[in-house]
Amino acid sequence: MAKLILLVDDDPDFLEQNRGVLSSRGFRVTCVGDPQEALEAIERERPDLVVSDLMMKALDSGFSLARLIKQDPRWAGTPVILVTAVASQRGFDFNPRSREDLIAMNADAFFDKPVAPEALIAKVEELLA
Amino acid sequence: MSEEPVRILVVDDELGVRAGCRKILSAEGYEVTIAEDGQAGWEAFQAHRGFAVLLVDLMMPRMTGLELMKLVREADPDVLPIIITAHATIDTAVEGTKQGAYSYIPKPFTPDELLLAIKNGLERRGLTLEARRLREERERRLLEVAAERSKSNTIIKCITDGILVINTEKLIVLRNAAAAHILPDAELVPFPLEALGCAEVRSLIEEVLDCASGPTILSREVGLGEATYMVNVSQVLEPGGAEPASGGEAAGAVAVFRDITALKKLETAKSMFVSMVAHEVKNPLAAAEGWLNLILSGLAHQDPQEERRMIQRSLIRIRTLRTLVTELLNLTAIETGNFTLRRSPVEVAQVAADAVEANREKSQEKKIQLSFTAGTREKALADREALLMVFSNLIDNAIKYTPEGGHVGVHVSYDGLYVKVTVRDDGIGMDPGDKDKAFDEFYRAKNDFTANVPGTGLGLSLVKRLTELHQGRVSVASSPGAGSEFSVLLPVC
Repeated sequence: MAKLILLVDDDPDFLEQNRGVLSSRGFRVTCVGDPQEALEAIERERPDLVVSDLMMKALDSGFSLARLIKQDPRWAGTPVILVTAVASQRGFDFNPRSREDLIAMNADAFFDKPVAPEALIAKVEELLA
Repeated sequence: MSEEPVRILVVDDELGVRAGCRKILSAEGYEVTIAEDGQAGWEAFQAHRGFAVLLVDLMMPRMTGLELMKLVREADPDVLPIIITAHATIDTAVEGTKQGAYSYIPKPFTPDELLLAIKNGLERRGLTLEARRLREERERRLLEVAAERSKSNTIIKCITDGILVINTEKLIVLRNAAAAHILPDAELVPFPLEALGCAEVRSLIEEVLDCASGPTILSREVGLGEATYMVNVSQVLEPGGAEPASGGEAAGAVAVFRDITALKKLETAKSMFVSMVAHEVKNPLAAAEGWLNLILSGLAHQDPQEERRMIQRSLIRIRTLRTLVTELLNLTAIETGNFTLRRSPVEVAQVAADAVEANREKSQEKKIQLSFTAGTREKALADREALLMVFSNLIDNAIKYTPEGGHVGVHVSYDGLYVKVTVRDDGIGMDPGDKDKAFDEFYRAKNDFTANVPGTGLGLSLVKRLTELHQGRVSVASSPGAGSEFSVLLPVC
């Protein structure tokens, strides 16, 4: 069966765009609008990979979601891709500079919005390989 | 000294003495006034004043010489009394000097004896006057110095910036009230620098004191408790030394503490605002770019209908962006005072009606029933365009947050003071938390419904600012599921 990808974003345009990109490559896609729904969807559908926006209701909602996923032994192996429109916010620079930064962010990859379709596909396929 | 002649009052009941004295003294350039007894002498003294010398006989009718002397001395202590008496006894001399006489001349006397006594007396008087003048001047200067010093002290005490003065022995020798408040060290001034509680300030002061190369000023931001201070420490050079540039002898240092907490808060608020703007700008931009990328990549279906839909989606985001920029510019203009209202008496109901018509098409697209009623033709002193923006924004919001088939009603009324424009909808309403923040910049209620409503988060803050520019007020009543009612109150003219 095709791999399932969970998209988490409060912006419906991004959800729809990435759904289009990923489903065109044969992935199954589930879209949710906030981290709480995401946690429920993970329990229910066991996605193979999560792509989440960084800033939804709160500044760090993407980080929290990633941490909750990585800390739960059931999903710790699920790759997480974080995406944000503003990589630096309130004096913080979120751009990871190294592998260690990514680990600290509980993320397997980090993208600035908008993500080029090819780049997203390449990263998703690499992480699921 | 002035060249005015020295004036002498001669009081004697013997005509011969009076005439003789006048003749002798006038010849020497003195200006002489004569009187024949004590009473006449007192009248003459009061009439002319300004006498330097009183030549006075003791035994006279009506008023004795001693009585006259007493009156004169009381009136003008600088007058030099000289007694002329035929009854020259030790007793009278002692009594006379007790009464303040400078000297006495026994009768009969020679012209030289008279002149010598006058000359000596005047010299003595001159010295006394000069000494007094000097003493008074000194006292005045001392008073001035004291006044200056207490003035500087008062000024230093009253300065709201904290001030510490440290001498070369590293003793804190002055601490004003503000500094005592900022650095609550229990020690009484003077106290050693090491006893200063804040290590950061201490090392800054030491750095300046230990700096050998001429006058130094160091500045550092120091956080003390809740507050942030800009601490400026400058070297103080011995006054009167060489030119400052060549480096006079260092006399110590002055540390000035300026409270910049409010500035820092403003700075934080500013950068928060900037990053919010950045986020609000970049998000729609990225979304629009994402759609265009998708079309170009051909990853999406090569369906013209589908492509058209994607273009429309990106257009919506770009329009939001344009509105955002316009609203930002308007907000900035209001905040910097560059938003000029062109106010004239405006019929509020008419403007509200225009705003309703401008939103008619939008409401029809969503099948929302948009109604308008007005119960007043009152006028407000207002900028028509600004009012139109206010009402349009509220109606536009009401339409946005009301599901298809809903109802939006605009009503204008007058309560005797204000014209009230209410925009009521039966839409989704707001949580109390969202309601409180509705007028904040960039605040947008986030829930399942609003996720699909494009908006900048600036519309309502613009409404609020514009209404307040008109001395008006805007408020909202709302609860989830029960719709919202926004009211604008404008004073009538």
